[in-house]
Amino acid sequence: MELDLYFSNYTYVIIFVLFGVALPVVSLTFGRLLRPKNPYDDKLSTYESGIKPTGEAQIRFHVAYYIVAIEFIIFDIETVFLYPWAVSLGQLGWVGLNAMLIFILILALGLGYSWKKRVLEWN
Amino acid sequence: MSAYNANWSLMTPEIVLMILALVIFTLDFMTGMSRNKPFLGRLSILSLLATTVLVAVFNRETGQIGDMFVVDGFAMVLKIVILLGVAGVIAISMYYVDRHRDVYQGEYYSLLLFATLGAMLMVSSADLITLFVGLELLSISAYCLAGFKKYNGKSTEAAIKYVVLGGTASAFILYGMSFVYGLTGTTSLVDINEAVPTLFADYPYIMTMAIMFMIAGFGFKISVVPFHMWAPDVYEGAPTPVTSFLSVVSKIAGFGIVLRVFFVGFESVYDEWAFIFALLAAITMIVGNMIAIVQRKVKRLMAFSGVAQAGYLLVPVATMVSLDMTMSMITFYAVAYLLMTLGAFAIITLVTEDTEDDALTSFSGLYQRAPYLAIAMTIFLLSLAGLPITAGFFGKFYIFVGAIQAEMLWLAVIMIFTSIVSFFYYFGIMKQMFMRDPKPNDDQTLSVPKPVSAVVTISLVGTIGFGLLANVLTNYFNNLQWFF
Repeated sequence: MELDLYFSNYTYVIIFVLFGVALPVVSLTFGRLLRPKNPYDDKLSTYESGIKPTGEAQIRFHVAYYIVAIEFIIFDIETVFLYPWAVSLGQLGWVGLNAMLIFILILALGLGYSWKKRVLEWN
Repeated sequence: MSAYNANWSLMTPEIVLMILALVIFTLDFMTGMSRNKPFLGRLSILSLLATTVLVAVFNRETGQIGDMFVVDGFAMVLKIVILLGVAGVIAISMYYVDRHRDVYQGEYYSLLLFATLGAMLMVSSADLITLFVGLELLSISAYCLAGFKKYNGKSTEAAIKYVVLGGTASAFILYGMSFVYGLTGTTSLVDINEAVPTLFADYPYIMTMAIMFMIAGFGFKISVVPFHMWAPDVYEGAPTPVTSFLSVVSKIAGFGIVLRVFFVGFESVYDEWAFIFALLAAITMIVGNMIAIVQRKVKRLMAFSGVAQAGYLLVPVATMVSLDMTMSMITFYAVAYLLMTLGAFAIITLVTEDTEDDALTSFSGLYQRAPYLAIAMTIFLLSLAGLPITAGFFGKFYIFVGAIQAEMLWLAVIMIFTSIVSFFYYFGIMKQMFMRDPKPNDDQTLSVPKPVSAVVTISLVGTIGFGLLANVLTNYFNNLQWFF
């Protein structure tokens, strides 16, 4: 039955989940049993690429961050669409070219809008 | 048939509306930072009317584009209803934005047009993916529109509630669709319809769960009990023209996809899901009408009235004898619902804006202040309540007869009793209009701006016209080929 195949495909997912949970649990437990335990101040401080944190983490971000993030995501997704489209343009032909040009035109209008509405200015 | 040599002319109305919406959007940001651009409103109405004509010309014959997009009688009628509904909403909005100069009119009108485009795509889709894209285009535009009074706390609250709950509902729809796709291996509604009978026999629980997920999500969009909790808050907070958009266009388009998905995609297993809709219709009619009684604010009252109306519209879905009859009943009621709700909202917008108060008492003495509006509002309310010589009466009557023909007597009885309950709160508004004196602070005569009076008059003529000549419309619907 096709549907049994559908469910048996989830066996891999279950195995993956089990391994994913088991790996950190097992390795950390063994590490705890094997290593000596001797914490002191210098050992617990931040080292290498870290710095000591200052202030609260939950501050208000400037709203411009969000707008720029939205703009970024739109053009990021455009890139995601452009790669497979560029690879298969040979088969898609003129229809594919026109479809993507319309898509880019709509995004360009959106960019023009945010430009004119001074979204891209930071003051 | 490949999508590349398809008959693209079927999509002409959508393509033209998209270009016009983009032109309006571009005109807005190219003509400076001013918020007040009334010419864009007039241009939007012209675009919608032009698109309506194109729908009547290009969607007359049925056809489809590569299993994704289908044009049939159902799509044509609902598109015309949606386009005319949005044209009415924009006419009301022109009065509204004239009083609220802080609204960016260009953005407002272009969002409305994009939402319309989404609604048109929804009712024309023959595929779960097209359907979902259209639904999201409509929903996301509607989320933005609900929060258009930026500096008003209630409007912002409405937008946030709407976007969070709406997103959840979309997730439910997608989850249900993913089950259907996983089991059938296709997103095309026609193919799904062929595959589901055997799947229901083999895996009844998973299929029922998939259907329940989709009903929960769609039930949110058409505000059916128990998925209606967003409606009163969003209706109250959103700008009143947007409220009319949500309660007319968004709801009719939502019904469009419910009918499309269930009567095309799951028609072969009708008996499996009909009873769910019968139960939903029953509790929606009861709860909607009961809670509407205690409302003291007119927009909240209209929200619960809209919930109750959704319940009436679900009755024929659950009591199908023949598909054509059911479709013509629902579509007739949808036309009546468009006319009476839009007319009522035009008057509500005017009155609540003029008195700057959305309590029911803002209607007090309307008969002395503006007799024409009071009489028109009475007709719309009678139609919503389902009393004779109005389109609402015949819509409800057909649905009632249909329920009896299907031998669902209990549903017909609930429909009658809840309709009687609804008289109570609709008459509450009439009592304010005719039996109370105007408040001393209000102007003694209410001047009616042209766009609002145009919407009221057209809706009034339609409501009474289809009430007297209901068979004109039903004869036309009976000869229509609903689904391709």
